Amino acid sequence: MNASDNGTASMEGWDSPLIQARDLSRHFHSSQVEVVALDGVNFDLQHGAFSVLAGRSGSGKTTLLNILGTLDMPDAGALNISGRDVLKLSTAERADFRLMHMGFIFQAYNLIRVLSARENVAYVLQLRGVARDERLRIADTWLAEVGLEGLESRRPDQLSGGQQQRVAVARALASEPDIVLADEPTANLDSHTGEALMQLMRALNEKRGTTFLIASHDPVAMDAGKELLMMEDGRIVEQHRQ
Amino acid sequence: MLMLAWRNIIRNARRSLITVAAVSLGLAALLFLWGFNDGVHNSMMRNLQQVIIGSIQIHKAGFFKSPKLSCDIRRPDDIRHAIASYVDISSWRLRTFALAAGDETSEGLVLLGMDPAQEKKVTRIAGKVSRGRFLSENDTTSCVLGLTTARNLGVSLGDDVVFLSEDRFGSLAADKFRLIGIIDSGEMGIDRGLAIVPLAYIQSWLSMEGRYSEVVLQTSRESLEALTAELRARLEPMGYEVLRWYDMYPVMRQWVDLENGFYYIFLGIVLLIVAAGIMNTVLMSMLDRIREFGVMMALGCSKSRLAGMVVSESLMLAIIGIIIGTTIGLLLVAWFHHAGIDLSSQMDTIQRFYINTLIRTEIDTDHLLNTVLSVLLAASAASLVPVWRVMLLQPVEAIHHV
Repeated sequence: MNASDNGTASMEGWDSPLIQARDLSRHFHSSQVEVVALDGVNFDLQHGAFSVLAGRSGSGKTTLLNILGTLDMPDAGALNISGRDVLKLSTAERADFRLMHMGFIFQAYNLIRVLSARENVAYVLQLRGVARDERLRIADTWLAEVGLEGLESRRPDQLSGGQQQRVAVARALASEPDIVLADEPTANLDSHTGEALMQLMRALNEKRGTTFLIASHDPVAMDAGKELLMMEDGRIVEQHRQ
Repeated sequence: MLMLAWRNIIRNARRSLITVAAVSLGLAALLFLWGFNDGVHNSMMRNLQQVIIGSIQIHKAGFFKSPKLSCDIRRPDDIRHAIASYVDISSWRLRTFALAAGDETSEGLVLLGMDPAQEKKVTRIAGKVSRGRFLSENDTTSCVLGLTTARNLGVSLGDDVVFLSEDRFGSLAADKFRLIGIIDSGEMGIDRGLAIVPLAYIQSWLSMEGRYSEVVLQTSRESLEALTAELRARLEPMGYEVLRWYDMYPVMRQWVDLENGFYYIFLGIVLLIVAAGIMNTVLMSMLDRIREFGVMMALGCSKSRLAGMVVSESLMLAIIGIIIGTTIGLLLVAWFHHAGIDLSSQMDTIQRFYINTLIRTEIDTDHLLNTVLSVLLAASAASLVPVWRVMLLQPVEAIHHV
């Protein structure tokens, strides 16, 4: 991870990093107040990274994660992910891009309530058109990988918070995305469960080489990251390897 | 996606059940009402055709609008050959006008010559005789009158009635006929202004031997149009007119169409209610799941796919309602087709309009299909608002929706 403050939106050197962000800015307007959520963010994220985006509430972590996840668009700047200029994609193309290249883990787990753990994990594979038997087999494999063997048929309301978040991790990884974006994944968990979850994600990163970018202000999460990126007032102000 | 839609429906089972019940009951009620409506209309149209006018009449071209004795069928073999391949039986009649004189007064009427043997095979007019009897093959100067005409003329069974008319050459023809039967059908066009006499005798009396005014055919409702088209193709070039029952009596057809129009308006109102019910359920269900929709979009589900799921939920609710509602509705129609609905105490004059007092429900296929498809269409339309809401969703706002 290289933080840069050069303020340019150059497209040079877009070959190797998984993510290249240049001068990303995002403003929100509410009644008479303009809030600067992102103020010229520049950074590269390499393949295989396990990075934590830290900072206080309101520092811009979630906004940046949303833009990197193509869920939101910046007001200005340039963004290249997996070799694609994602800001030029249409809404439908961005949905397809997320499907093929990204995995998401949310603070509130956000599993689909009517689906079992297995079906939740298989859902993205279904969107990708993977045959039923194959996607259920892959889902079972991933549930075993995150330690939920035997709980495949349970619905989200039959699982604990930690178990639900493990299902979310399995769902994010089952389609073998280029990157997993996690927004405060430990915020709703107790410290022990949160730590276990971070260890699980780090282990998966090391075992499978999946890139993780985790937005969190939880010390447990920050300790687990191989790289720490500090945000303040919509800018990346500090970054270092741990 | 269908599985997910189905799970969403059963997730809130009570809400879905209420919606399905509303669709089912609405549809069952509509089908029963159609069954009653069609039962009345179809029996009315059947009665009109079967009692005397038939499904199709063939005349010399122009006879229906200007029914003169001279406008007659002079080459009956033309018609016999034309109809032979389509119908086995037909009634050949001679029609003219006459002045009838009884003991007390006189009255103008239609004089209809019928072959009793043929007529009994084609129409039910013989069964409408309430006093005396209908014509038989050996009768010559016998006649059958409607009850009102007999009353007006002051004649009763066994009395003589004198008919004054014109023969083929325009000469006055008068003869005395014995009243052998009185028709009390309750139908105004028959009970008043009609006298039925033997065909062979009237042909001879009016110098019309071998000549006819009209040929009456009966056919099913389903084959009416096709048969008419075929006969027209063959007979119109020869100078004949082929008329369906409603070409001759359009008022009844127009009345039926008008009543059906009212039913379609009623159908529209019920469909609005059904659509509102489905829309409420699907919209509430969708609003409950905005956050979930946001997550699904984040995971790569396109908006069109989400919209498809919403439409699927709406259609599933409708289809379940349609299956139940159609079953109940058709069972009701079948039950009252056999049991009948007796309206004799409420409507003692309905026979005047060819309506049976015991209504047997039946439903036309087009009304059944139109109603079912309309419910399906209403369900599709009901999903438009939720779909529109889905298309406006933005993943970030949706995920953080509270």
